[in-house]
Amino acid sequence: MFKDDNPAKEIKVAETIIGPSVKVEGDLNSDHDIIVDGEVIGNIKTKNNLRIGKGARVKAEVVAKNAYVAGQVNGNITVKEKLQVTAEAQIKGNITASLLVVEMGAKLNGQCKMLDEVTLANEKNLPPKTTK
Amino acid sequence: MYLYIYDNFLTDKKYQSSLYRIENRLVDLGIKGRVVRLNILKNMAEVVEDGIRQGVKTVVVVGNDLSFSKIINIIADKNVTLGIIPVDNKSKIAKILGIPPLDAACEILAQRIVKKIDLGMVGNYYFIDSATITNEETTVKLKDYNISPIGKNNIVSFNNLGIFTPGKATSDYKSDPTDEKLELVISAEIKKFDKNSPLTIIPFEKIKVSCAEPGAFIVVDQVTKLKPPATITVAPGKLQTIVGSKRLF
Repeated sequence: MFKDDNPAKEIKVAETIIGPSVKVEGDLNSDHDIIVDGEVIGNIKTKNNLRIGKGARVKAEVVAKNAYVAGQVNGNITVKEKLQVTAEAQIKGNITASLLVVEMGAKLNGQCKMLDEVTLANEKNLPPKTTK
Repeated sequence: MYLYIYDNFLTDKKYQSSLYRIENRLVDLGIKGRVVRLNILKNMAEVVEDGIRQGVKTVVVVGNDLSFSKIINIIADKNVTLGIIPVDNKSKIAKILGIPPLDAACEILAQRIVKKIDLGMVGNYYFIDSATITNEETTVKLKDYNISPIGKNNIVSFNNLGIFTPGKATSDYKSDPTDEKLELVISAEIKKFDKNSPLTIIPFEKIKVSCAEPGAFIVVDQVTKLKPPATITVAPGKLQTIVGSKRLF
């Protein structure tokens, strides 16, 4: 059974919140949760969770641990763990994730690559699990 | 030794009974000190300098948020502890520091929980709560990116103590005045029926603010107005202040 428990979807209080009435140009880096409901041009990188809201317009390379995308993204999205793309999302760029959920109605134009256990284990310097 | 400074407006008769209650409570708790009532002839800076020369280690301001903001620039660079006694329950600074109004504040002073909290700086001017600019053409520059509000009637503020969402009694965002950071907050100007305007919140240590419109100014703690462009930085742990156990950080 697939559990719908993407931490990026349920961010209530983030350290960085870009509201709908704001435009950010440049590199947005954080070690904590980010919520984007406005406009971002550049790069977004967080070691934690990222939520891109319905009205958000992002022209950026996106890197996060978990991500929930409901807005427009023009750029590549790289998510270490869970990526959820909602029905309202429009993505023009490649997506990379370990776990992916795409709702019916989402618009995706780009390549999709799944991170496997070998790649994840290499990043964590752990031996990958083997099945008998 | 304690120095109690009563702000000008407390000369009004309606405050007399409250001030008697405060003074009696201070005597009961054994923390009575020198009392100075400000007036046209006595200003806060002179009173504090005088007090420090005589060995005062704790300066207590009796008044409201304006009173508390006025003393910040006077004592920020001095080795004294600040205490506050708010005369009503409308003080945002007191709420965040966990100080109840009137004689209940005296108990907090007696408990003497002292914390070093951050201050913000606009140029060389300190602020304890926030610096605000209301202008359409404001641009804010952080180390790696620029931020500009879209549309009209946005309020850009640089907060230290706490962020209160318009129309709400408390904040959803837990701001910490000891985290060595300030918060950039951009909100739409409060419209009559729109109490839930979405906010932009970005923590920072140093920021440059500029304004294309020539007549704009930055209002610092509701006390002073400064002209942009300006650099706003955090002064970590700059102010030693008495806080209550019910503080919001």
